[in-house]
Amino acid sequence: MSTQIKLRNCAKTFADGTRALAPFDLTIEGGETIVLLGPSGCGKTTILRMIAGLEFPDVGGMITFDGDDVTRQSIEKRRVGMVFQSYALFPNMTVAQNVAYGLKVNGVSGPERQARVDAMLGMMHIDMLADRRIDQLSGGQRQRVALARAIAVQPRVLLLDEPLTALDAKLRVRLRTEINALLRQLGITAIYVTHDQEEALALGDRIVVMQKGEIAQIGTPREIYRTPQNPFVADFVGAANQLAGHMHGGKLHIGPHILEPAVISEPLGDIICNSGSVDVFFRADGLSVCDLKDAHFTGRVEAIAYLGEKLRLTVSGIGAHTLMIDTHADDLTEVGSDVHCRVNVSRLTIFPATKARFAAVAGTGTI
Amino acid sequence: MQRDWKFYAQLFLTIVLCLFIVVPIVMSALAGVTVNVFKGLSSGLTLRWIFEVWDLYAPSILLSVIIALTCLAVTLVAGVPLAYVLVRRPGRMTRLFEELLTLPVAIPGLALALALLITYGGVSGYRSSWLFILTGHVLFTLPFMVRSVAAVMAAMNIKMLEEGAASLGAGFWRRFFTVIIPNARPGILAGALMVVTLSIGEFNLTWMLHTPLTKTLPVGLADAYASMRLEIGSAYTLIFFVLIMPLLIAMQALAERGKHRPKRVDTAEDTL
Repeated sequence: MSTQIKLRNCAKTFADGTRALAPFDLTIEGGETIVLLGPSGCGKTTILRMIAGLEFPDVGGMITFDGDDVTRQSIEKRRVGMVFQSYALFPNMTVAQNVAYGLKVNGVSGPERQARVDAMLGMMHIDMLADRRIDQLSGGQRQRVALARAIAVQPRVLLLDEPLTALDAKLRVRLRTEINALLRQLGITAIYVTHDQEEALALGDRIVVMQKGEIAQIGTPREIYRTPQNPFVADFVGAANQLAGHMHGGKLHIGPHILEPAVISEPLGDIICNSGSVDVFFRADGLSVCDLKDAHFTGRVEAIAYLGEKLRLTVSGIGAHTLMIDTHADDLTEVGSDVHCRVNVSRLTIFPATKARFAAVAGTGTI
Repeated sequence: MQRDWKFYAQLFLTIVLCLFIVVPIVMSALAGVTVNVFKGLSSGLTLRWIFEVWDLYAPSILLSVIIALTCLAVTLVAGVPLAYVLVRRPGRMTRLFEELLTLPVAIPGLALALALLITYGGVSGYRSSWLFILTGHVLFTLPFMVRSVAAVMAAMNIKMLEEGAASLGAGFWRRFFTVIIPNARPGILAGALMVVTLSIGEFNLTWMLHTPLTKTLPVGLADAYASMRLEIGSAYTLIFFVLIMPLLIAMQALAERGKHRPKRVDTAEDTL
C-alpha cells in the first residue's frame, strides 16, 4: 500500500539560470517519514515540489513511485496529498466541502463520499466544524482541515510543506505530536519540509539536511544529532559552539590541553587523526562548569539566561567566539565574573579546519 | 454643548453647497412632471411627458439595455480569463498588454470612435448595426472588468489554491470553475455592475458611432434636449435616473459588503 519513491540524478535549474538543486539521488522507502531540513533557500521545498509534480527536474532526472516513472506526470495524475504552510483551503466551501472536494473529483459516489468525509473529520477531531466556513476557523483548525482534505483521497504519498510554521509555539508542538501519530497510524510515505530542527528530529524516520541546493547529510535523527558529517550540519542542528585545535598523534590539542577525542567525523577520520588543524563543534554540554583545579579553561560570563532547570551562560575569552555553557540553576554566577570549565571529550565533534577559518586566522595574525 | 460662530458658518457653507448641487436635480426632475415649465408648478403636475418619452424613445431605451447586457456577456467571457492570465503569468509582456488594455479609458471616446469609423466604416452591415456600438462599449468597459477581477484574484493567492486543487486531482477546467471563479465572485460582480453602468451611460463614443436607427439612451437624451420641449428632456432624465440608480446602489452595497467580511473567530478554539 505505501509507496516507495526514488529520485535519480534530479537537478533543478530555473528559467533565469539559477541552480536551485545540484543533481542528487534519494530513495524514500514505503511508509517512511522523511524530513527535508535546511535554512530558507536551500532547495528543500523544490525537492518537495518535484515529488508533487509542481516542478519538473532538469533533463536526465527521473522520479519513480513504486517503479512507475512519474517524471513528466502532472500533479493531478500523481495522487499526492499536499499540505501547505498557508493551508490553501478553498474559502468558497465549508469544511466538509473542502474535505469532499478531492473525493468528488475522483468520482467517489455520494453516500460513500459522505461517510469518508465524516470519518476524516472525526479522525482529525473537527467533526463539529463540518459546516463552518474557512474564514471562521483558527490557524490550528485550518491545518487540521488541510490534513483531512489531503488524506481523504488516500494518496500514494503525503507531502507537507512547513505545515506548522504559521502556528504559535505551543500549538506547533501539539499538532506535531498529532501528525506524528497520524503518519504512523496511516503507514503512509510522507515527506515533510521544515527549517525547524526540533520538528525534524521529532518527526523524521530519516532527515535530509540541505545546504545551498545540495544534500549535506542523510541520516536518522540520532545520527544527525550525534554524528553530524560536516560543520554545516553540526551548526544547523544546534552544535553552535566552536573552538579551534589541532590533531597530533591521534590526540586533540586545544590550547595547552591534550585530549582523547571520541567522535571524529567518519569519512575524514584518517586524515585528521594524524596531524592538522581542526574545528571542534559542540553543544552547551560540551563544556561543564567545574572548580579551578579541574579546569581546562577560564572564561568570563557575558550574559546569563535563566532556562528554569538550568542557567545558560554566554562566555567569552575561550577561543575566538563566545561559547554557550550550561550550569545548574542554583549556581550563583554573575555577569562579569570568571567561570572555570572542563571539556567533555565525548560530546565533541571534530572536523578539519575550513579554508575560511585559515583565512580568518591569517587575517587576525597580521593585525 | 456651546457651539461657536465657526460651527454655524461651516454649517451654512455646507448647506449652501449641497443646495447648489441638489436644487438643479430637483428642478430637472420637477420639470419632467410639470405641465408647462415656463409657467412653473402652478400649471400643474402630469405624467404625460414621461409617457410621451416612452412612446418616442422606447426603442432607444431597449437598445441601451440590450447593448449593456451583451457588453456584460462579452466582457465576462473575455475579461475573466484575461484577468486570470494577467495574475497568473506576471511578466513584461502581460504588463505591456495590461497597459494596452487600459488605453481606451485614457484616449478620448471621440478619438476611439473615429478610429473605429475609419477602419470599419465601410463595412456596411456592421457599421449600421448595433454591434458597431457594442464594439466601442466593449473596448471601453473591458479594462474595468479586468481590473476589478484581477484585483480580487491577486488578493486571494490563486496559485496556491490552484496547486491545492490540482493535488486533489482536479484538472484545469475543473479548478477554474469550482475554485477560481467562485472565489473571484466579488470582483466579477463589482466589475459586472461597473460595466453595465458605464455602458448605459456612455455618450462620447456612442454619439459618434450611432445611426438614426441605433440610438441609445444617452444619445436619445441629447436628441430630446436639442430638438424637443424642455419637459420631454427632463422626463427623459427621470427615466434615465430610475434605470441607473439601482445599479449605483448595488455597487455601493457590494463595496460595503466587501469591507465587512466576517473575521475568523478567536484562536481560543485552538485548544481543541
